[in-house]
Amino acid sequence: MTKNKRCLSFYARIYRKILIQDLKSKMSYRADFIISTFGMVLTNIAGFMTFYILFRNFPSINGWDYYHMLFLYGFSLTALTPVQCLFDNNWNLRSMVYSGDFIKYCFRPINVFFYFISEVFDAKGLGQLAFGIGTLVYSWNRIGLPVTPLIILKLVACILTGSLFMIAIMNFAAATCFWIQGSGYVMVIMFRFKDYAKYPASIFSGIFKAVFTFVIPIAFVAYYPSLVILQPENIPLLSLLSPLLGILFFYLSYRFWMLGVRKYDFTGS
Amino acid sequence: MAEHAIEMKDICKDFKVLNRHEGLKGSIRDLFSRDYKTVSAVKDISLTVERGEIIGYLGPNGAGKSTTIKMMTGVLEPTSGSITVNGRIPYKDRKANSENIGVVFGQRSQLWWSLPLIESFKLLRDIYMVPQKDYEDMIELYRSLVDIEPILHKPVRQMSLGQRTLSDILAAFLHDPAIVFLDEPTIGLDVSMKSKIRSLISGLNSEKNTTVILTTHDMGDVDALCKRIVIIDKGMKIYDNDIEHLKSYFGSYRTLKMRIGTDEWEEIVIDEKTTDIMDIIMKKQKEKKIRDIKIEEISTEEVIKKIYEGDAK
Repeated sequence: MTKNKRCLSFYARIYRKILIQDLKSKMSYRADFIISTFGMVLTNIAGFMTFYILFRNFPSINGWDYYHMLFLYGFSLTALTPVQCLFDNNWNLRSMVYSGDFIKYCFRPINVFFYFISEVFDAKGLGQLAFGIGTLVYSWNRIGLPVTPLIILKLVACILTGSLFMIAIMNFAAATCFWIQGSGYVMVIMFRFKDYAKYPASIFSGIFKAVFTFVIPIAFVAYYPSLVILQPENIPLLSLLSPLLGILFFYLSYRFWMLGVRKYDFTGS
Repeated sequence: MAEHAIEMKDICKDFKVLNRHEGLKGSIRDLFSRDYKTVSAVKDISLTVERGEIIGYLGPNGAGKSTTIKMMTGVLEPTSGSITVNGRIPYKDRKANSENIGVVFGQRSQLWWSLPLIESFKLLRDIYMVPQKDYEDMIELYRSLVDIEPILHKPVRQMSLGQRTLSDILAAFLHDPAIVFLDEPTIGLDVSMKSKIRSLISGLNSEKNTTVILTTHDMGDVDALCKRIVIIDKGMKIYDNDIEHLKSYFGSYRTLKMRIGTDEWEEIVIDEKTTDIMDIIMKKQKEKKIRDIKIEEISTEEVIKKIYEGDAK
């Protein structure tokens, strides 16, 4: 008995249906939905206040003025939305692997990573998205960047690149639970690193810059891809390569995650 | 379609377990240690399951039941031996194998937690690419077997344990798989829910000729559903035959029940070949007044207990 192959459009259709259903059920818990969205907005405002106070006192940091910094800030918030909204289930991986509940993802004729990740959609991140886009638009105006279809396309591609890097970092961090016990800390620490995404990597000293570029590529979440937009006349090589690197890095993280699934022996009941 | 639903020959499964050392020093040593010991969870199990059978798959905790089932479902690869499920080698192509099996694993719901059951069904329909007509027929069949109206539009997270188990079983049968694995489906349920679930399983089995592998510790499930039982212990198959055969094996055993004093019944299993029932009664009578006596055939539960304790060898 052969059935048609489950291709990309199949997964896209399933994913859309799960998202719609999930969103519907979330809306039905209206108070919960409103409060958590409101909470996220407050968190963002608080984060922004810190940022504002800091940079009002330093008119320029390493050649970055206030509005360029603001642009980077908005860029990082937007790029960090997908990992928050769509890949949040990675946080549950560890407990599911230890309790044995993870095995249920192995009984369906679909990709285990897809099945696992698609299960949770965190709507709270949407507040962050709105805030990020607002900040981007405002700083865009202030800097006086042109608005053409091409540059918008570039911006979207660059933001997606940043998202891929953060998603990949969290995939790697989450998948460590297949091998080591204390993997909870790995995830927490990696997630903390995202706070450095909103700073230009050029302000860090050599060693940190190298670490954030080549070891834990947090500088690729916002700094490198945003240079494509901010310095169109002088784009560094790493920025140009970042979309390709992002796809590669994400692919590697996916393979690592799946390797963990294969390696894991589901003992006990 | 393959001849047999499941065919296993001389299946073994070993696990490598790290020898752990005590204390902080030991933990650091463990980090770099290659000091493994091999634990064999399943030893030389051969098993053939025909289409449409309901098999009671029994054994004490840690006997290797889950491990065998994980090999049948393609999650684990056997260390040695050959296995085919629906004519396929399960671990070689886990996805293709899972098209044709359904799994319910104890109390772990596999449904989407926040979605109403009907939406979970629709998603499963899409995932397994079930034609709309077959899907509707299956829902009709469900309606005829069990009252699904009260749970159909309820999110899984709001369901009682019984309703959730019921939903999980329905979901496992939805794509009309050739084999369904049920791991302790009635655990923790009340009497009426248990009987509802048993009649649902037997109804689906007879309507769809689905092979059912039923793991359970509840002999009520076995009595209600299974003709054949397979018992494994310490990774080895120790019994594989009809229930009736098993009972006749213990034909000389009787369960003696005595009511002494209050409403409490005392139960003793006696082998008539070696012990005289009357002796026991006389002895008891001397100690306390016996109000009531019943002598019954040995129950499945007692038989299984005897086998676990090693009396069958």
